[in-house]
Amino acid sequence: FSKAQTVHPEVRAYVYSLVNALGGSSTDDDGHYVLGDDALACLRDLKRWLKLYDEKNNRLDVARCLAEAKLVGGDLVPILASWPEDGKENKLKARVALACLEVLVPLTWPLETTGEMTLNHHRHTPYIQQAQVIYKAAILGCDTSSILRQVVRIGLPSIAVARDERTSRDEGILKLLLYFFRNIAVIQQVPNLPSQGLDSEVSRSATIEAFRDQDVFALLLTICSNMGEDFNLQDVIVLDIIFNLIKGVDPKRLWMTQQQRKSQGITDLGAALAVEESKNRATKKHQWSRHGRFGTMLWVKRDGEKMSAVSGQDNLKGDQQALFNMDKSKKWSKPQQKRRDIDHTIHDFDHTTHLTDPASEKLRNFVDEFLDSGFNPFFTHLRKAIEREAERLLDVNYRQFFYAVAWFLEAERIRRETQKKEVKPDKVRDDFTDESYSIVAAVLNQETFIMLNRFMQVSLDNKEWQDLNACMRCFTQVLLTVQEMVQSPLEEDQEIADNIQNRIFYEETTHDRVVEILRGYKDQGFGYLDACTELAHVFLRMLERYSKENVDMQIRSRRRAKKKRKEEMRMAAQPGDDPTADDEDSENEDIADVVQVSKERKFDFNRFAAKFSTQNSVNTFVSLTTFYRDLSIEQLKRAHRFFYRVAFKQDLAVLLYRIDIIALFNKMINGPDGLDKRHAMYKEWSEFARQVFKKMFKKIDQRPELIVEMLFSKINSTLYYLEYGQEKQTIAAS
Amino acid sequence: DLDASLGLDEEVKVTKRRKPISKLDEARLLSAPGIPKLRADARSGKFSKKLRLKGKGHEFSDVARLLNYYQLWLDNLYPRAKFADGLQLIEKVGHSRRMQVMRKEWIDEGKPGYVRD
Repeated sequence: FSKAQTVHPEVRAYVYSLVNALGGSSTDDDGHYVLGDDALACLRDLKRWLKLYDEKNNRLDVARCLAEAKLVGGDLVPILASWPEDGKENKLKARVALACLEVLVPLTWPLETTGEMTLNHHRHTPYIQQAQVIYKAAILGCDTSSILRQVVRIGLPSIAVARDERTSRDEGILKLLLYFFRNIAVIQQVPNLPSQGLDSEVSRSATIEAFRDQDVFALLLTICSNMGEDFNLQDVIVLDIIFNLIKGVDPKRLWMTQQQRKSQGITDLGAALAVEESKNRATKKHQWSRHGRFGTMLWVKRDGEKMSAVSGQDNLKGDQQALFNMDKSKKWSKPQQKRRDIDHTIHDFDHTTHLTDPASEKLRNFVDEFLDSGFNPFFTHLRKAIEREAERLLDVNYRQFFYAVAWFLEAERIRRETQKKEVKPDKVRDDFTDESYSIVAAVLNQETFIMLNRFMQVSLDNKEWQDLNACMRCFTQVLLTVQEMVQSPLEEDQEIADNIQNRIFYEETTHDRVVEILRGYKDQGFGYLDACTELAHVFLRMLERYSKENVDMQIRSRRRAKKKRKEEMRMAAQPGDDPTADDEDSENEDIADVVQVSKERKFDFNRFAAKFSTQNSVNTFVSLTTFYRDLSIEQLKRAHRFFYRVAFKQDLAVLLYRIDIIALFNKMINGPDGLDKRHAMYKEWSEFARQVFKKMFKKIDQRPELIVEMLFSKINSTLYYLEYGQEKQTIAAS
Repeated sequence: DLDASLGLDEEVKVTKRRKPISKLDEARLLSAPGIPKLRADARSGKFSKKLRLKGKGHEFSDVARLLNYYQLWLDNLYPRAKFADGLQLIEKVGHSRRMQVMRKEWIDEGKPGYVRD
């Protein structure tokens, strides 16, 4: 491996000479950085090289050379740092700073290892990704000056100009500035590449702290709260920045006090230790009491005078262990389908990110201010842009939009919760508790719901699972927010909430879609599984409550109307029509039109809940439950409620009588590797499992056919008979 | 050339075929140690006695016995697969048209007043 082979030597020579001519630390001036005579021209040349060689030919050669020449850490950062605070009127310095930024943005631009890649891309991408981590560390860790603040300063003159008077150059500078912050927010240690020991320097926490300390958050807040007035085209980039800051962060942790966070840390540690201890106990239970060569051998008597031999002392403990070991000793495993690795892209949000305490504090401040002032203008503006399908939007921006909305809605709910808890004892800020939900009203209107529904359907149809994941989270959060609003002391809020619920639950297509998503789960990853089960759980529970309160609830169903219309059309098209029927026909059509728009029928919750109780949705929840050791209490509760509903409210426990499901429940309770007995959900689950088993044995006694059927997913035609022991009485149309 | 056209001088190549791996398919599932065995056990009327199920109050130990029964049955039918894998294979076989018809038939046979066509 020699350097000369990776990049054309001539290119390298040109680029190196430009970097050298840019300047360097002087020997007589305390090692301060001194600009070269033609620094500005050099920077422009570098920019030209990046543009006309790299971009045009679709190579990364120049970027690679610049990384090797350490341009960012050695030159650009010192140049920006040396721009004196009071040197505002120093025109040359300001222009050099802008030229630096113009080179920095393409150098820090996120590289994706997807899509079309040339040989050169494959050769250079890992190196440049590593180099970008070093760039970020250099930028955030510069100790003589705050680089981010300097960059904000570059943009200030353009921001100060009113929107109508901004030239395209001003707009360009603004864009450059924001893209730079976006790039800084995106860069992280790439998981597949070796660590360079800079992980904490470029972590999310470090980014957030730098953004707060160096006024980037202030800039973002200004832009967000003036969105639509002073700022227009910047919304998408800002969304990108915010998305990359909040993705994977748990809003709950932000509002914990230091004390709570500490105790949370202790409980987390305690929980982790408890899991480990229970694992230890389980292993100890089956540990051999003698040395490994003690050589115990026994046989298991089976049907038809057959024997199976097993070795090992632990088999003496009982049949269970012997049978378990018999199974374990088999060599062949069913080949598992490997899931595509979709998680390592920068647009993924399913990975939890932990923030340090100071970073949490700072992000919370930002979120607080954002909710109070920026939320409505920002998201309204974005929504309109999405509706218009504005050119500046990329596909990922839709996903980012819904994820961000979901995240901030959750943050708002948690903020309210904490405030309620805080205020109650002293009753000083009583007026504060009664704040209305209007500060998040921008996403609780009909337009947003229509958009959300449409996008959800589109991503479902196109099998864009990560998009659908974001939509589902958004929808869930909307539902939860509305639920909180219903309990708000303000009458206005209650009224609005009631209206919203009415609208959400009015469309039968929404109901069907939720069911369809739940039933359609297959290998889309845990984040998706979590989101779709949560949505189903929340939706079903709220719908149940709402339909109880509104007994005469009406829903609009489209399908039936269409069918009816078709029938009428067919009738109309029948030959032998007498000419007088023409008038009648058109009249009929009119009626059909009316029917199609307003076909309503009374909502029947039981019918809807029955749609949830199918083998496929049971399978989805079973796949969630298989992760039981890693699930949170809330997730375990969700699965428990679902199974409980299926088995005891819908009377379809037959769906659970499948050996793998029964084995899973048994394993959860009795191990090996079961739930910890002291786990908060253990009792509920064990009681549930016992009830199901009891019911199952009763069924087996009544209907021995079940012994065979236990092997399979049930067929619809025999389901009813297995449960009730008789054929379903269908209402004859006579 | 005559030899060549008759293929006399050409050596007959013997390619050793790999022994086919037995599969857990419909045929195997419907063979005597498969579902017929389960059905025989189920219809003998002594199922719970055979498994020594203890009944009420002993749900968990009974379930363990039931699972053991299935495990041994599966091990006998298709020793290659682990219990959990074998269950998945069988479940998949159950989706075929023929199996569905047969399953329906088995259930119908248990119904009161069933008359074989």
